Formats: sequence, structure tokens, C-alpha cells
Amino acid sequence: MTDLIIQLLSAMNFVLVLIMVAMGLMIIFGLMNVINMAHGEFFLLGAYTVVMTNRLGIGFWPALVLAPLTVGFIGMLIEYICIRHLYHRPLDTILATWGVSLAIKQLIIIIFGPAGLTVAPPLPQMVTVAGIEYPAYRVFIMAIALIIIAVTFYIFLKTDFGLGARAVIANRDMAATLGINTRRMYRTTFAFGSALAGLAGAVMAPVMSCDPQMGLGFFIPAFLSILVGGTGTLYGVLAGGAIVGGGDSLLSFHFSPVAAQVVIFSLAIFLIRIRPQGLLGSKKP
Amino acid sequence: MLKISNLHTSYGGSLILQGIDLKVKRAEIMVIMGRNGMGKTTLMKTIMGLLPPQSGKIELENESIGGLKPHKIAAKGVGFVPQGREIFSDFTVWDNLRLATMRYPRKKRCVPEKLFEYFPILKERKNQRAGSFSGGEQQMLAIARALVANPKLLLLDEPSEGIQPSIIQEITRILRAINKETGITIVIVEQNVDMILDLADTCAFLEKGRIADTCPKDALQKDDSMITRYMAL
Repeated sequence: MTDLIIQLLSAMNFVLVLIMVAMGLMIIFGLMNVINMAHGEFFLLGAYTVVMTNRLGIGFWPALVLAPLTVGFIGMLIEYICIRHLYHRPLDTILATWGVSLAIKQLIIIIFGPAGLTVAPPLPQMVTVAGIEYPAYRVFIMAIALIIIAVTFYIFLKTDFGLGARAVIANRDMAATLGINTRRMYRTTFAFGSALAGLAGAVMAPVMSCDPQMGLGFFIPAFLSILVGGTGTLYGVLAGGAIVGGGDSLLSFHFSPVAAQVVIFSLAIFLIRIRPQGLLGSKKP
Repeated sequence: MLKISNLHTSYGGSLILQGIDLKVKRAEIMVIMGRNGMGKTTLMKTIMGLLPPQSGKIELENESIGGLKPHKIAAKGVGFVPQGREIFSDFTVWDNLRLATMRYPRKKRCVPEKLFEYFPILKERKNQRAGSFSGGEQQMLAIARALVANPKLLLLDEPSEGIQPSIIQEITRILRAINKETGITIVIVEQNVDMILDLADTCAFLEKGRIADTCPKDALQKDDSMITRYMAL
């Protein structure tokens, strides 16, 4: 019983952070048709922001604000320098963002070296959850991820900015003829999506080994979540993240990480075969 | 008001507009007719900035707008009702209308109440999903949405397509009323001859990517040989 609760809690941990990463990826894809191959590296940059603040001696907490700001800014810069020139060439954006991803990884290796780094846990104490001892920091991760997910939903479903963004996702040309500056919206959203990944990276840094490949561990499942859940609606990311993240986490625990991957990938292939638009996705013309 | 000279536009690799010359006077209702594939929609999309002109000039009140981005052209005072209406079917009626105000700073975002005098149904069903509307109601929403920002020029691409005759008559009546009361200039691409004769001040005939003829509506009512020449298959 205790085992099961711990498993469920750690699965929930992974799912919530995964949804944060996947939401950013999905918003960028939905809005601009750009598959951002560097999204995992934005996560990576967020995690290394924590490594930086640790080295500077200011500890973990400032990174929680610094990481999304820095990574959001870097995202905006990358959009301005590279992606904005490629909007009418969707295939090339995959190549370009992949290039950006390689460059960021190598830069991290040059600065920090290829080895895994650990940072001191910011909340070492334990708390009691559902009758068992559980690390307080893990609870904090879940709380912050839930808040960020809720805020993102609020922005996209309730604010004017969100209405405009959803209009651009649904019908770019029509939104533009109504006077919406789609380019400016792309830049804002790209920065926002990057910031989400950066924050997720920062939050996860204390419980992972920070190495230059760590982004992949979130990028691939995030990508799968979107495929499974469907694009065009944020709810799809919730469903996709829960299935991919939860499945992966629980199966790894019971069998092995390899078996989990096999099952998840097969499931994704099967789902895409019978429902190409994803579980909740709207059909794109 | 609107002056187009020697406009060329390609679409999908072939040259569709091959030297359009067209002048529309202020407060005029100009109907552009022509068979399918003659470039009517391409012309509308080029004026709106959705397709880049290859050469030639588009001037709105003596200001060149050719090649500007759509949102800039919208800001100059052009409203667009595209073919197939293109309303946001998952959004409410109100959100559809509100989208046209996003270009303004937050405090100035308001949908003019006067619109609902022309389209009372939109006020009654403000919170309904736009996709649940009938074709005619969606068309009214698309027209209202294009009018939210008080444009000087309204472009409509086949507003009668797939709509029942009684609603076409109603839309025609509303467009005429708006034109009379606000002095808005209207350019319509249309194939429905009844609607054209009800609405137009001037008719232009598009053939093979050029304006082949223009004539006032009155002349067309007396002698419909032009309609037969340019519209019959």
C-alpha cells in the first residue's frame, strides 16, 4: 500500500512537470506550426540556471524567478534571430531548432563540462502525505507545477491575449485580417513557451542529475504527449501528459524503463493510427 | 477611395491577376462579377494583404497599401468577410466580435452597440457558440465582425454562397442600410444576380485576370447581355 502511494506520487510528479514542458511545446506548435526541437534544451538551460545560482552562492530560490526570465529571453532572441525567418518553411524550422539544440548542448559542455552535476536540495525535510513520509521538495514541485498549469489555462482561456492566441491557432489568416499582429504574438508566445520549459528545468534540477542530455528525458515524452493528446487544445496536453507520463512512470517502476518505453511508444503508434488528430485534438484542415 | 492599377498576383505558381485596374468611389457599392477561376477571390485576398502583389499598385485614400501585412491593412480601415465566412466556430458570438477589437489598447476595446441594431440576433445569442449558427446567421456574424472596428472599406467575398434566399435578401437590406447611414465603401465579389441587382451601384466584370468591363447597375437592368457574356458558362 505504501509502495503504491509512493509510486502514484512520483508518477504525479513526473506527469505535472511533463505537462508544463508539453504545454510550452504545444502552444508553440499550435500557434506557429513550429516543432521546437530545442525545447528540451530550454529545460536544460533552466536546470543550469540553478547550477549557476548555486555556484554564485545565492542558493536555489532566486533561480525560480531567474530561470523563466532568462530562458524566456533566450527564447525570444532565438525567435528573432532564427525562427522568424522560417515561418513559411515549416520543415526547415525543425532543422534550425535542432541546430539550436545542438549549439546549446555544446555550449553547456564547454562551460560546465559533460559530467552530471547535482545541486543541494533546497527543502531537505520530509512531510507526511497520506500517512507516509515524503520529501517536502517533491510536494513543492507538484504545487508549483499545478499553479503554473492553472495560470497557463487561465491566460489562454480567460484573457484577451489568450483569445487572440486561440484565434491565431484556429485560423491564422482570419485573425490577421481582424487586425491581430500575428508576428508579435508569435514572439510573445515563443518566449512564454520557452519560459515554461525553463521553469520546469529549474524546478527539476534538485532532483535530477544535471547533465547536457537531460532535456531529452522531457522533450521526447512531451512530444509524445502532444501526439497522443492532440494539438489545438490545451486539454489535449493534460490527457496526453497523464497517459504518457503516468504510464511511463508506473511501468518503469513495475517492470523496467525499457519495457515502459516500448509500451508507451507502441501505444502512441496505435493511437495515432486510429486517431491521427490525437485524443482531444481538433481536425486541422 | 480605392484605386488599383496594373495589379499582378500569382497564386500557386500561376499568374492569376494579370493587370487589374479598378477605381472605387467613396460610399460606392461595387460588385465584381465573373466566372469561377477568374481571380475574384485572389483579388480580394491581395487587397487584404493575404497574398503579396507581384507588381502594380493598391491605394486606399491615396495611400499605398499594396504589400502591407493584413493586420496593418485592417488598421488602415479595411474590413474583410472572406469566402466561406471563416468564423471561429468554437468561440462564442461575443468572442468572435471581440477579436476585432484586440488591435486597440485594452481600455478602448469595445464592440459598438450600434452593430446590434443591424443584427439584433447577435445580441440575443451573444453567448452561444458561433458554430451552432445556421449559414445565414454565421454570415451575419462575419459581416458584423468585419464592421466592429468601423472600417472605411468593407470587402465581401461571395456573401450569398450557401445561404437561403430569404436571408440573402435580409443581408442585402442590411448592407444597403449600413452603406446609406455610414457612407462605408463596399466591394463585393458575387455571383448571385438577384443580390447584385439589388445591391450594386456599379458592376465590374473580371475575366482572365483583368477587369474586362465596368458599368453602372442601371445600365445592367435595362440590358443584361453583359451578364450573359461574362457569367454564362
